[in-house]
Amino acid sequence: MKKSKIDKPILEGKHLTKNFGALVAVHGVDFSVEQGEILGLIGPNGAGKSTLFNILMGVYVPDEGEVVFKGRTVSGLPPHKICRMGMAKTSQIVQSFKEMTVLENVLVGGLHGKNLRLREATQEAEEILEFVGLGRVKGAISGSITVPDRRRLELARVLATGAEVILLDENMAGLNPAEVEEVLKLLMEVRNQGKTLVVVEHIMQAVMGISDRLIVLNYGEKIAEGTPAEIADHRKVIEAYLGEKHASHRPN
Amino acid sequence: MLLFLQSLINGILLGGIYASYSAGFSLIFGVMGVINIFHGEMVMLGAFLTYWLFTLFHIDPFLTLPLSFFLLFVFGYLVQRFVIHRVVEAPPMISYILTFGIHLIIAYSALWVWTADFRAVTTSYSGLNATIGGVIIPYARLATFGLALIVVAGLYFLLKKTETGRAIQAAAQDKEMARLMGVNITRTYALTFGIGAAVTGVAGSLISTYFIIFPQMGLSYTIMAFCVVVLGGMGYIPGTLWGGLILGVVQSLIATYLNAGLSGALTFILLFIVLIVRPAGIAGKGIVD
Amino acid sequence: MTLLPITICLLIVPLAGFSGYLVRLLAMIFLWVGKAGCWNILSGMTGYIDFGAVGYYGIGSYATALLMSKAHAPFLVSVLVSGLVSALIALPIGLPTLRLRGAYFGIATLAFAEAMKQIILEFDKTAGVRFFEGPHGITLPIGPGNEFFYYFGFGVMVVVIAMTYWIRRSKFGYALRAVREAEQAAELAGVDTLSAKVKAYMISAFFLGLIGGIETYWLTYITPHMVFDVLITIQMVVMSLLGGMGTVFGPAVGASFLTVLYELFHRDFPYTYTILVGFIIVVVVLLMPKGIVGTLRKR
Repeated sequence: MKKSKIDKPILEGKHLTKNFGALVAVHGVDFSVEQGEILGLIGPNGAGKSTLFNILMGVYVPDEGEVVFKGRTVSGLPPHKICRMGMAKTSQIVQSFKEMTVLENVLVGGLHGKNLRLREATQEAEEILEFVGLGRVKGAISGSITVPDRRRLELARVLATGAEVILLDENMAGLNPAEVEEVLKLLMEVRNQGKTLVVVEHIMQAVMGISDRLIVLNYGEKIAEGTPAEIADHRKVIEAYLGEKHASHRPN
Repeated sequence: MLLFLQSLINGILLGGIYASYSAGFSLIFGVMGVINIFHGEMVMLGAFLTYWLFTLFHIDPFLTLPLSFFLLFVFGYLVQRFVIHRVVEAPPMISYILTFGIHLIIAYSALWVWTADFRAVTTSYSGLNATIGGVIIPYARLATFGLALIVVAGLYFLLKKTETGRAIQAAAQDKEMARLMGVNITRTYALTFGIGAAVTGVAGSLISTYFIIFPQMGLSYTIMAFCVVVLGGMGYIPGTLWGGLILGVVQSLIATYLNAGLSGALTFILLFIVLIVRPAGIAGKGIVD
Repeated sequence: MTLLPITICLLIVPLAGFSGYLVRLLAMIFLWVGKAGCWNILSGMTGYIDFGAVGYYGIGSYATALLMSKAHAPFLVSVLVSGLVSALIALPIGLPTLRLRGAYFGIATLAFAEAMKQIILEFDKTAGVRFFEGPHGITLPIGPGNEFFYYFGFGVMVVVIAMTYWIRRSKFGYALRAVREAEQAAELAGVDTLSAKVKAYMISAFFLGLIGGIETYWLTYITPHMVFDVLITIQMVVMSLLGGMGTVFGPAVGASFLTVLYELFHRDFPYTYTILVGFIIVVVVLLMPKGIVGTLRKR
């Protein structure tokens, strides 16, 4: 895997703005991610986190601003091109190719995201499934496996595309604490392989614990940025969450 | 100049006709996302109901309207409740293959039973027109134009101001949320389909008074309804008026000044262009899947 | 493999002295399998229900008719060119329409086919030429007997089935299936969904145009209403649906069944056939959405 230049961030969002009619989903958001970082993206529901991810992946074209990935402006490119360049995303509502087997699901990523030939893609897919712990169900129809397994499957497919930057959109939602621990371990290993992660999560312990840095969105705007310790004490962040059931945790 | 005015008035009246039988289509799609390929059959059934009541029992077409409304309502309600509802959760292509199958059954059963003969309802007042400044305005078409306005206004009122209407809108916007708030989705959908069918049936009844009717007429009405609703915005009821008027006027002008055959081809080309360039319709308020 | 004996039997039929009627019936079935198979390559595999497939069939028909009757081109060249013409037209039509979702795509394609019919109908008047005769029909030189079309039909059928088989197991096939299952997830996984859809659309159009050319030569006289008939598309849809959309042999099963049904009913009870088709559709959608082959495979 190529390492990008040390002085340039691998992914940058510059003044990103996206409106849906009268609704301002994202407004003037600036951020950058260094290669090998784990960046946490938090904020109350409706703060614009998923919209931001969709902008990064080319699902939405920003009304203002641009997305710069590996030094290239990618805002306006179709998602498949961005994926082939090395960025991939999991979805809030798990999307799998239900009629295909678990292996085939991952295959699609390798074939089209990484542009491998069928034999190589199959081999890599099997290795990746072992890595995420789905080796035992590789022949199962993906519509029939459990929800935690389906989330791993999405991660596996993302890894198969050869992504260097992985956007995780609430990949741990609905998991119990033990399952969350396992996923966190997996993500740390992925990072140790040199990948960059941007994580959206509502499970505060998880995202605070794993992130090197955090960005906080509220009503589409970035209201805070810093280390987990700084964010936990940040006045604006606490205010944003007042009225939500969450209390911010101190990282361990 | 007179030719232009006549053509324009013809187009406007035609547009009203289009709107009257397209509003139900828009409603059904807007609420449950079903593209009803047998929509035209409901026009046909309304038309034939009026025809037979008139021909066999000499009941004036306008008096058949309430019966048409009621019977088509029941028909729509039952078909939705027991057949279409089973696939409401499935991807949309399933529902339009299904409604297509129902179209075949209804249209060809009608063909079988009633034969392919063309028919018309000719009353004592059928050919009567108003003449204003040299422009001819047939009463029957004027009545349908009026009906179109009533239907669109009525549906709009129903949706915005009544309890049932709000339930329908809630179900349209967010099915799960509506269910959680106590809305009976099954009944609401069936009700919506029934209303859409009823309104369409009444339009069909009126149409029998000045258009030729025949059992296979349905499909072209379905296609036209789709054109009207795409132009006006899928699921946006007031838009059916605009869509209808635009199509009616464009077709009328083309038929007058160019060539009647071309108006068919150009309608399809126009539809094609609108779908590509502005799928949310002229006013941009339509639902785009 | 039961395929081999079946293939050998089918190849022998015309030579074995069976009735001309059987040869004709089987030839029709082969060509319907071909048509349904074409429809299946796009719509069965991607889930984009094309209601305008007959448009390419008609284009191919007229291309062959014109080439053979006006330019006196040989049959083989004509049908190949017809396929190419259809495929070329499919590109500018497919690019915009395949971006549309579900129902909108269905109606846009239907509008395309209807527009094509109208254009040919209005061609003479608008262009001021006398290209066609009578109701815009074209007569071709009389061709060879049914056996010729039997073998040609058989060949095309085999090619279409083989194509479907090959596509399903290829990288391209995975792209198409991913589009059908979860198009946005496919995009996000690196699948160029538009390109995959357009390719399938063009392949389907090519063979539909080719088959249109073959059948035109067989019919020797065509009019726009015959070759742009929406009922042809309907047959393709129902055959694939009944047999199993997206499967390799589904169209063959569906086409065989429906063609026989058609032959049984159509002459004496034309409406009954279509009503039956309607019921088949409803029953399949409600009870057996994967079609015959699809449902059997699950067991």
